[in-house]
Parts: sequence; C-alpha cells; structure tokens
Amino acid sequence: MKIKFWGVRGSIPAPGPDTIRYGGNTSCVSIHTGSGGLVIIDMGTGLMHLGNTLMGGPFGKSGGRATLLLSHTHWDHIQGLGFFAPVFVGANQFTVWGPGGSPEVLEQILEGQMDPNFSPLQSLKNFSAKFDVRAVPLDGSAFDAEGLTVTAREHPHGATTALAFRLEEAGRSFVYASDVGYGEGGPSPEAIAFYRGADVLLHDTTYRPEDQATRRNRGFSSYEDAAIAAVEAGVKRLVMFHYDQDYSDDDVDALCANARTVLDARGGKSIGLVPAREGEELEI
Amino acid sequence: MKVRFWGVRGSIPVPGRTTSRYGGNTSCVEVRPKGAPPIIIDAGTGLRRLGKSLMEEAFRDGKGETSILISHTHWDHVQGLPFFSPLYRQGNQVHIFARQRDTHLEAVFSQQHDMPYFPVPLSAMHADMHFHELIEGARFEIGRAKVSCTRLNHPWIAMAYRIDVDGAAVVYCADTAPFADILFGREFMVTPPALDQPLPADVIAELDKMRAGVVALAKNADLLIYDTQFTKDEYRLRPHWGHSHPDDAIAIAHDAGVKTLCLFHHAPLRSDDDNDAILANYRQVVKQQGERFNLLSAYEGLELTLGDE
Repeated sequence: MKIKFWGVRGSIPAPGPDTIRYGGNTSCVSIHTGSGGLVIIDMGTGLMHLGNTLMGGPFGKSGGRATLLLSHTHWDHIQGLGFFAPVFVGANQFTVWGPGGSPEVLEQILEGQMDPNFSPLQSLKNFSAKFDVRAVPLDGSAFDAEGLTVTAREHPHGATTALAFRLEEAGRSFVYASDVGYGEGGPSPEAIAFYRGADVLLHDTTYRPEDQATRRNRGFSSYEDAAIAAVEAGVKRLVMFHYDQDYSDDDVDALCANARTVLDARGGKSIGLVPAREGEELEI
Repeated sequence: MKVRFWGVRGSIPVPGRTTSRYGGNTSCVEVRPKGAPPIIIDAGTGLRRLGKSLMEEAFRDGKGETSILISHTHWDHVQGLPFFSPLYRQGNQVHIFARQRDTHLEAVFSQQHDMPYFPVPLSAMHADMHFHELIEGARFEIGRAKVSCTRLNHPWIAMAYRIDVDGAAVVYCADTAPFADILFGREFMVTPPALDQPLPADVIAELDKMRAGVVALAKNADLLIYDTQFTKDEYRLRPHWGHSHPDDAIAIAHDAGVKTLCLFHHAPLRSDDDNDAILANYRQVVKQQGERFNLLSAYEGLELTLGDE
C-alpha cells in the first residue's frame, strides 16, 4: 500500500503563510494498493488536488474507478466532493462507503451539500460519474475496497460518531482513525483491539493535551491520546493527523516533538512517528 | 471608512505555497465606518480570522454588534459563519442581510449547521442573530451608513451592495457573469451554450436592465470590488459558471466612473504569479485606454482608506 496525504487539517481549511509546510487543506488520504487499485479516505478540500492529479490518468479519459471511504459527514470531510474533477468525466465509477446506516440516508446527506441554495451543481444527479453509495457495516464484518479487506469501527466524536477504518492487504495493515475523542479514561480497549499490531496507525492529533482538556466535548484527540493508543496497540508507525486550524507549522513541529517524548516515555521507542504533511507519501 | 480584505478567493479555499501572497481564503470584506461597528460583506473562510480579530474588541465582552451582507449563499460566501467567534459569545448582536428566496433565510443558514454536517446547531449560537430579507433595489441604513443593492447575473441570483458613509462609497459586485451571453436564473446548465448567437429580445432587455442597475449602483464610487474569477479565454470555456473577467469589469468601471477598480474572487488555482501578471497586463490596458481609475487586485490584508479620515 502506498499512502499519500492530500489534506491533513481539521475543521476548516486554513490557508496562510504559517500553514504552508504541513498544509491547510482538510482531510483527504489516498491509498494505492499493491494491485493498482485506488482507495480514497475522506473528501475534504485535499480531494480537489488529488482529483486534478488523477485527471492525467484513466480518470481523465472516463475509465477510472476508485472506492471512497467516508469517516463521517462533517463539512471538513465532504467539502471537496463538488470540486473533484473526475466526477464530471463520463463513466468514471466510484463506490462510496460511509456512515448513515443505509445508502439512502448517506446519499441524502451528500445531496444536501449540493442543495441549489449552496452549490451551483444543484444535485448529485448532475455528476456524470457513476456513484454506488453503500452503508458501512457496523457489526465488524469485512468488506472489499479495490482488493483491500476493510473493517470499520464507530468511534465517539463529540455528540456524534466517526468511523475508523482498518485496511489490510497481504498481511499488511493501515488504520485510519481521525476525529476520535475518547472519554476521560483515554483510548478504550475496543479501540486498542481495532488498532492492534497495525503497520501504520493514522490517528487524530487535533490538539495539545492542554487545549484538549478545555475542549473535550468537541470529540478530538491530543497527541498524548494518540501516543498512548499506539503504544498499547503495539503498532509499528504512528501518523499524526487533523491538526487544529489555528496551529501554525511551528506549533505542529512542537506537537510532533512532544508526541515523540510521550512515545519514548511510555515504552514506544521503537514506534516510528510521522507527522502527516500534504503531498508526502508513505509506503507499507 | 476603512475597507479590509480577509478573503479574496472564489469557489473553494486554497491553502498552499502558490497562493499565500494573495491568500487562499474565500470571500470576506470588512467595511469599517469611522468610529462605528464593522459591516461585513460575505462570510467565506476569511470570516474566521476577522472574527478572531473582532474578539479583541467589544465582541469579547458580548457587547459587539455587526451586520453581515451576504451576496448569495453559495458555500464560498457562507462557509466561514460557523467559525465566526463572536457568535459563540452571549450578548453580541449579529445582523445577517441577504436576498429573499422561497425558503426563510434563517432556515437556509440553519442547514449549514445541521447535525450530519456540523456539531453545533445554529439555534445554539450564544449571540443574538437577526435575519433580514432583502428585495432587489432595497435601501436601508446601518448606523450612518446607507446601503443599497441590485441583482447580479449568477446562478440562483446574487446581490451587489453599495455602502455610502464618511463621504465615500464602496461597491461589491460578486458573483456575476457579464451581462451579455446568458441570463442566469435557476436552471442548471450541463454544458456551455453556444456564444455569439443572437439572444431573444426579452433576454437582451433583461440583461441590459441588470447591467444598467449595476452601473447605476457603482456610479462615481470610490471603490468597485468586482468578480474577475476568469480570464477572457477561461470565460469563453465556462460562461455558464456565472463569473466575469477583467475586460468586463473595466467596462463597468468606465461606465460608472469609479475611482478605483479592485479585481476580486480569484480562481482557486490562480497562482500568485498569475495574479501578478494579470494585474500588470490590465494596468497597461487601463493606461492605453486612457481610463481614469486605479486598478488593484485584492489580496488578504489589503486595507484601503476611503473618504474622511
């Protein structure tokens, strides 16, 4: 699996000279599978740039297909969809797996973003690509995404929930766990079990612990939560993700240094630490 | 009055190295009459930083007041509102003005806060929000400022605003297409119609009337802020998107006799270098045509003082 970061920011895109190094686009990660498939997780503004890149290949000639996994439908995870160029090209095909409990509900939520009051596109029906919308099974059963075996887990996210995904291919595993906010006790045993032994755990690190303490109701993690989860689950590498919109590049540098300290102090010296940066790739 | 640009981009915010000088935030302009509360035009992502700056003032203590004029409710003109800090402080008064439509304005804005999309409902905002629905041609006052408006040529219709205060006038025209090829309403156009074809007489009359309304609104204005998302060539490829280009903006500025024309609502993928080149090119054009107005291109942080100091 080859993982690439297109948007690593939380809540709202944060343009400006002080977010250039890590990037200001909202959540979007692509996974190129060993067998040449494409899986995309979340559709923040980073999706526009991924789409423009894809137009140079089969997607530009109406022969592309990909699976989109959607963690939840807050704006910063869907707002790139209307700007994703491949959806306006002929017969490109997308399978979309997301929350909502039924394909009809999920499709209606996505349709709401295209409401003519808000979007000149007016409706998903005006996309020429084919969308096959499906509801993620929440009973832990696996489903297929371009040859990857995927399982999902519902995590607490403030007053709602967000899905974490575990992607497996040929004995390798990648876990995407953004927008998770555990209770006072930290990562739950069920969450740890879900992350267990992953080659790469991408985990929400929206906040510093002191910022998280005053904003616990927002449903995000600190780098401390992420480091604890990584150590307890015995993962090989931890990716920091979904930085607060107010954090500058220098702030994220500090977040990263502190996360390393926590990992080392808790027995995770062997765990690799990677702060997600727009445009960077990671191979598993 | 002072006019300050907080977001100058169209369609979608674009963080990154190639847009950092002009800025990647979507549309938001602050108009500050002397010694009076701010009047804000549009609530794109630029509103987030403006909100933080306002929290240094009366808004921090819940004693702030502002009016936000919304050109239209497409995402890039409203998506900053849920992140506007003054809304989260009890006592602040926030007035939202926008064009009347089939659905009540408050219901439209509530949708942005619905549960599947955003964690905090509009009804949970601590500030007092007041919604004011406008009809085309409405005139009203915000303190000493006199506000007028007219409709623009954009899918689902946008409003242009003029604010007269402190002996000067600023006019905001975004989003709009030229008044030449397509009359926009509510229809979705999958593909661009053929250009340079004769239009029906009633469509021509309607477009002429709309253009005359814009020229009248901008008459002798000190500053005209205008949607120039496209170059002329880009416009010919996508005339059905409802945006204009500098040649059209210059013609309007000429006819209205404005003092300064400001290019605005830059295309998301327009780099800083491209914007520099467009400005340099059109400064030549303006000079060659003998126009009497200054030409600027909006960037985040640009602040202009108009009229009485």
